[in-house]
Amino acid sequence: MDAAANFVHLDLFNVAYLLIVGFIAGLVSGFIGSGGAFVLTPAMMGLGVPGIVAVASNMCHKFPKALVGAIKRARYGQVDVKLGIVMGASAEAGVLYGAHLQENIRRAFGAAGSNLYVSVAFVAVLAVVGGYVLWDVVRALRSGTAQAQVETVSPLARRLQAIHIPYTMVYFRSLDARVSVLFTIPLGFATGMLAATIAVGGFIGVPGMHYVLGAPSLMASATELVIAFVMGLGGTIKFAWSGLVDIRLAMIILAGSLFGIQLGAIGTTYVKPHMIKVVMGTIMVLVLVSRALVIPVYLSELELIGTLGGGTVKALNSVSFGIMAFALATGAFIVLSALRKGMRAERAAQEAAALAVAATPAPGAATQPLPQLSPLGRFERILVASDASEYSAGAVREGLRLAQRCGARLRAVTFVAGDLEDESLGERALGRELDSARVHLDQLAARAAAAGVPCETEVVQGVSVHERIVEESERMQADLIVVGRRGRRRLSRMMVGDITLRLIGSAHCSVLVVPRAAEVRGRRFVLASDGSRFGDAAAVVAGSLARRCEAPVTVVSVAVPSHAEARRQEARGVVDRIVRALAADGIAAQGAVLEGPAGDTIVAAAADCGADLIVMGSHGRTGFERLLLGSNTERVLNRTPCAVLVVKAA
Amino acid sequence: MATVTAAGVEKKIVKTLALGVLTLVLYAGLFLMEDLVLGLSTLGGWFGLIPVGIAFIFSLAHGAFTGYFWDLLGVRAKK
Repeated sequence: MDAAANFVHLDLFNVAYLLIVGFIAGLVSGFIGSGGAFVLTPAMMGLGVPGIVAVASNMCHKFPKALVGAIKRARYGQVDVKLGIVMGASAEAGVLYGAHLQENIRRAFGAAGSNLYVSVAFVAVLAVVGGYVLWDVVRALRSGTAQAQVETVSPLARRLQAIHIPYTMVYFRSLDARVSVLFTIPLGFATGMLAATIAVGGFIGVPGMHYVLGAPSLMASATELVIAFVMGLGGTIKFAWSGLVDIRLAMIILAGSLFGIQLGAIGTTYVKPHMIKVVMGTIMVLVLVSRALVIPVYLSELELIGTLGGGTVKALNSVSFGIMAFALATGAFIVLSALRKGMRAERAAQEAAALAVAATPAPGAATQPLPQLSPLGRFERILVASDASEYSAGAVREGLRLAQRCGARLRAVTFVAGDLEDESLGERALGRELDSARVHLDQLAARAAAAGVPCETEVVQGVSVHERIVEESERMQADLIVVGRRGRRRLSRMMVGDITLRLIGSAHCSVLVVPRAAEVRGRRFVLASDGSRFGDAAAVVAGSLARRCEAPVTVVSVAVPSHAEARRQEARGVVDRIVRALAADGIAAQGAVLEGPAGDTIVAAAADCGADLIVMGSHGRTGFERLLLGSNTERVLNRTPCAVLVVKAA
Repeated sequence: MATVTAAGVEKKIVKTLALGVLTLVLYAGLFLMEDLVLGLSTLGGWFGLIPVGIAFIFSLAHGAFTGYFWDLLGVRAKK
């Protein structure tokens, strides 16, 4: 076959057309995780591109687009990479089977039979899934739950999560629970089959992850981008191996779609979760109408109904494509409107907070903080130390949430390097840094004001970050310092872990370290104790926090294989004692003595029980004890995806 | 924790322009060598990795550019 003959000539009109369609498709994909492909393939075919090349080129633009979208949304903590890869692998199998099925149908019933199969699949899937999604949105709007930021897990998902099938259970961050891969595999397979049939696997994947597995819709739509990347890459390699990819077409569409996908991803940070369902449901129902319109055409071609006239066929095809384009445009319109509205509301909130901050008296001017008698279990003054980067987003969010729950005062500080070397760069550079820090703090103050949390903010300069944080915490007599955590990659771990550990070592009060995507929802806390007074201090704080969050607590004590039986017995005694103490306080508590390397075992215990917070004690502030503790604390901090509260005992 | 590293507006403009130029160079290269690239792509087999590689490279450069582009226009994610 002369594959080069498949490649069309591109003029300015064609390029502009593909750029615009690519942009709109990217916008929708960035928001709901899929979509757009069902218009892109016919759009390319409309320019004279052979069907197979249109499908191949569409696929080749899809995987880099999904990659960029997934990276962007991962920065917002919305992507569950593990679930995406597990689903993506089974989706790949679904794609191959779906394509094989298509070929068989085409061989047996011809092109019309294949088209009829595609259209019926469209209508059946979209009617069931799209109808359910829209019904769910209407129900949520009527009951008022659509305004909630946290969605409820469907009864089906709760039931599936409760089923324990040995050797198949995997913990997924987006579900905050363990679920058997035997449930994810068919879902991924169906996603792949649908992708091979109607080019939009996400119409099964996103609702499946949300309703069947229990992932929040924002995370489901973001994780779908990982699945799309895996499927797209596999599909592209398959088509490229046969020389069918028109890289020019793919890169032109990519040029437009990358603008769109960035915008769609940003849009997800401004909307309530139900908006994902609104956009997806609307598109699905409109596409359903579009495909239902052409079913008579294929039935006629197969002579299952009377023959339709040429004019009627042309009109039905045109109207069908028009509705499909309208579906995509409607989705894009809803996304852009939601983004515009969200940005406007955010600006208004910032301006209101700036006014409120201006009207707040300077720290210390009006009221003197009460002297702190005992820091244990008390959360009245919280210090959030943010570096204004996305890595502090979790610390800011959870600091605010905790202050709101405990009725605490919040003090937020951002640091600007103020050593001689930096000053030598000139006042202008320093001024820019200070301006940027102030903007960040103003935004934080706006959020605190909206949450009804009293908040003071300050930009501080200093050479040593951890020393300045400790100074600030002592100045305000903080009960808790909340800080973020950089990535878990080796370099950033080495650079940042040291500062966090030094902070934990030097601070007088407890330190809560929150990774960017971690949320302390109060699902379950893991309390690690070695039976020392430091472990008891951690138990007091964990109990105090568990009461406020109404969270159950799992108490663990870790024994290493070399420990004697007496030590194990002692550990069991420690766990029993703490469990009884917590239960006496009305907290649901259970305990376990585990075996293995302490840090890794604590992390695994937290993952196994779906905990969202690990509480552990800290030995002394200086000397050898601190070094000993550092290795375990560092290991837990670096390896767990959830927040870690390190409790300081005097 | 780390100190504030947010770049100023000027720095962002420079980065955006640099990435924009890089993206333009990549696209210009693709279309100036259109015949060669398409010719090799159609050979299939291991040559099929050429379009895959091109897609990866373009997505890195253009993806970073579009990110900075919206950021510079003030379209940023809600924190």
